[in-house]
Amino acid sequence: MEARAREVGTPLSAPPAVRRTSDLAARGEPFLWLFGGALGLGIFMIVGFLLLVAWNGISTFWPKPIEVVALKGGGLVAGEPTRAESFRPGPERLAGLDAAARAAIERNGGHARRTLYRIGNYDLYNEDFRWVADFEVAGASRPADMVFVERLEWGPFVGRIKEVDLDGARSAGAAPDLGRLSSAHAAARARWQRLREIERGAIGEVNHDLNAERLRLRRAALDHGRDGPRFRQVEAEVAARTAALERAYAGLTAEAEAIRKEDGKFRLTLAEIGGKEKTVPLSEVVRLYPANDLSLWGKLRVYVSRWAEFLSDEPREANTEGGVLPAIFGTAAMTLLMVLVVAPFGVLAALYLREYAKQGKLVSVVRISVNNLAGVPSIVYGVFGLGFFAYIVGATIDQLVFPERLPNPTFGTGGLLWSSLTLALLTVPVVVVATEEALAAVPRSMREGSLACGASKWQTIRYIVLPRAMPGIMTGLILAMARGAGEVAPLMLVGVVKLAPELPVDGFFPYIHLERSFMHLGFHIYDVGFQSRNSEAGKPMVFVTTLLLIGLIAAMNATAIYLRNRLKRKYAVGHF
Amino acid sequence: MAQPATLLDAERKDDEPPARHERAGAQGIALEIAGFSLWYGETQALFDNTVAVQKGFVTALIGPSGCGKSTLLRAINRMNDLIEGVRIAGEIRLDGVDVYDPRVDVIALRKRMGMVFQKPNPFPMSVFDNVVYPLRVDGVRNRAVLGEACERALRGAALWEEVKDRLGDNALGLSGGQQQRLCIARAIAVEPDVLLMDEPCSALDPLATARIEELVDELRGRYTIIIVTHNMQQAARVSDNTAFMYLGRMIEYGDTQMVFTNPRRRRTADYVTGRFG
Ligand SMILES: Nc1ncnc2c1ncn2[C@@H]1O[C@H](COP(=O)(O)OP(=O)(O)O)[C@@H](O)[C@H]1O
Ligand SMILES: [Mg+2]
Repeated sequence: MEARAREVGTPLSAPPAVRRTSDLAARGEPFLWLFGGALGLGIFMIVGFLLLVAWNGISTFWPKPIEVVALKGGGLVAGEPTRAESFRPGPERLAGLDAAARAAIERNGGHARRTLYRIGNYDLYNEDFRWVADFEVAGASRPADMVFVERLEWGPFVGRIKEVDLDGARSAGAAPDLGRLSSAHAAARARWQRLREIERGAIGEVNHDLNAERLRLRRAALDHGRDGPRFRQVEAEVAARTAALERAYAGLTAEAEAIRKEDGKFRLTLAEIGGKEKTVPLSEVVRLYPANDLSLWGKLRVYVSRWAEFLSDEPREANTEGGVLPAIFGTAAMTLLMVLVVAPFGVLAALYLREYAKQGKLVSVVRISVNNLAGVPSIVYGVFGLGFFAYIVGATIDQLVFPERLPNPTFGTGGLLWSSLTLALLTVPVVVVATEEALAAVPRSMREGSLACGASKWQTIRYIVLPRAMPGIMTGLILAMARGAGEVAPLMLVGVVKLAPELPVDGFFPYIHLERSFMHLGFHIYDVGFQSRNSEAGKPMVFVTTLLLIGLIAAMNATAIYLRNRLKRKYAVGHF
Repeated sequence: MAQPATLLDAERKDDEPPARHERAGAQGIALEIAGFSLWYGETQALFDNTVAVQKGFVTALIGPSGCGKSTLLRAINRMNDLIEGVRIAGEIRLDGVDVYDPRVDVIALRKRMGMVFQKPNPFPMSVFDNVVYPLRVDGVRNRAVLGEACERALRGAALWEEVKDRLGDNALGLSGGQQQRLCIARAIAVEPDVLLMDEPCSALDPLATARIEELVDELRGRYTIIIVTHNMQQAARVSDNTAFMYLGRMIEYGDTQMVFTNPRRRRTADYVTGRFG
């Protein structure tokens, strides 16, 4: 333009300023920076968050040394240093300090540093953690004989081994034989395991059968009335079975008692740093290690064994210790069940909307409503799930199928099934929208080709449209799964609990108990971090559990994406 | 042939065999389009079309773009049923039965007619599965029957030699020309009475086009073929009869040679000599 204008002879002058700005805007560079910056910020936040969770999660289980701190005012503190921060001591604390220390603090703008020690021994101190300010410290050391003892109850013990009593063979005072101790410890843990098997497994089974007999009697009373030959026959049977079961019960309790007695002979006496003693049965010690005298290999073993316990055991101590197996299991089971429900439900709805319904105003309204469902706050679904599924559907099922258990609800309260259905409802818009898009993206020429071959509409959908749309449908299901697995709020109303006594899957008929409440990693995080007596102890567990939840969702999504890509490859062969 | 030099004659040699429809042999009427009109909603696309398509002949449907050729072709196997708001009047009779009779089973009807589209549209499946798709949806499960039908159809579509070793490969891996012949094989797999082709060569290169034209020539006599084309040389080369459409109306219908050399209507003459279109 400009070149031509010059040729014709217009005077050479700078183009007006307005034009230059519009050129700049037209080139779009300021926007490029803006968009790039927004993307960069987003990526930075996500990566930062993942790094934070990963670092905290991964380092939590690494054994830390035990520091013994001598205080200036006298007294000793022993514990794992967990973190340090700077703080502003109050005037009354400053008043108690000597001049030099006060001057140092003043030079620092009134700030001093302090360290948080995990001192353990909750049963003796009534606290797990203690702050020690730097100006209080006279000296610190890491004695090699300090041990860190994880116990079944009262949390960890930090101190020294005072005496080991192995069935009368005492080794008081002087350095205990850690090799002998650890083999005795293994034996004690095996006994404890056996005890748990008897109490949970065998006695649980007997209790379950006893309860079943009791319910059978009630059922018979409901069905045939209390006086009649049928009822009396059942009553006699139940009495006989109950007697047999009670004999079995007595045998099992006797066995358990014997083990417990044997167990009492192995004890460990520990002394905290100030000298107070505590004796614990060896079987109640989960893990014991000399924190300041560990080789790298020893640390690694502690680390791995803690992860193993975390992944494969049940929680204890109000969820702040032990494992999260029930929560992992609950999360996975609930998510899979949700996908099993939402997949056919969402795909069928979308098929009807896109392929069969007459496209008109009504369908548009339905489509908009479905899309808007995705924006409803999830707690609303929770309320609906509780009110509709549990209180109406569940209560009806209870009345019709399990009248003998009333007034105890079976399905009439929150549970795995109702949670999965609630989340399926929550995620159905995602699946419907994705499926509709995938169906619409199947080229018309494919459908026409099939119909022209004499295929019926259903055959066309079944053999041509659905396979082509499958990757898109899978994408929808993946999105739904990701959304559902991370949802916690509605679950708190329809079946998630802090501690579920039984897994939803076990050895009793019908093996999968959809009516049971369950544990969930998302709720576990909330509970451990913010609901426990001791949130400082729970904090590391929050990160570990978060890491696990992210890992679990990532693993489930990766599997689904792998499946989808295999499908995609099948339908994407190059042209020409 | 003492006729003025025409487009057609320019390509003909003197020792050319007799008119092609004589090879096909007169077998009667396969399809009668009688006073057929069609509306897309409020707009009328076809006006009172009448054509009697002869059995075993290749009938070309020519006319400028948008004149309703595809619409008429798709009306024959009722593909227009898929479009909402389509209304029709008049009749299209296959063996004397109106295909729009409410008692007619559309699926059974479509099984008697193969259709080949403008753009090759093989399904994303193996070559074999593509060819036997019409049999499968018809309920045939016997491997031997399917295999035999597959070979017959592929030989019929002159594709057998090229793909016989890769029947299990995905059909989308074939070249464009091969894909179109595969679609023809699929269309003739159930031995239909009528083969409907909607500009089957418009997405192909000249070599592939020549192969398809040869193929149409080979299929002459065995199937009644209606082929839409906007390429007049092609119509002249392959068809026995030609129908010329303009703005939804059937302007002229008759022997191809006549339509091209001695059209009765002015507009036909203008079109075939390339004066508009
Ligand atoms: N699905 C449709 N809806 C509305 N109008 C259509 C549709 N398909 C074709 N038409 C119209 O019908 C007329 C004939 O189209 P078509 O049969 O495709 O022409 P041709 O195949 O001869 O190029 C055109 O004017 C076109 O715009
Ligand atoms: Mg067309």
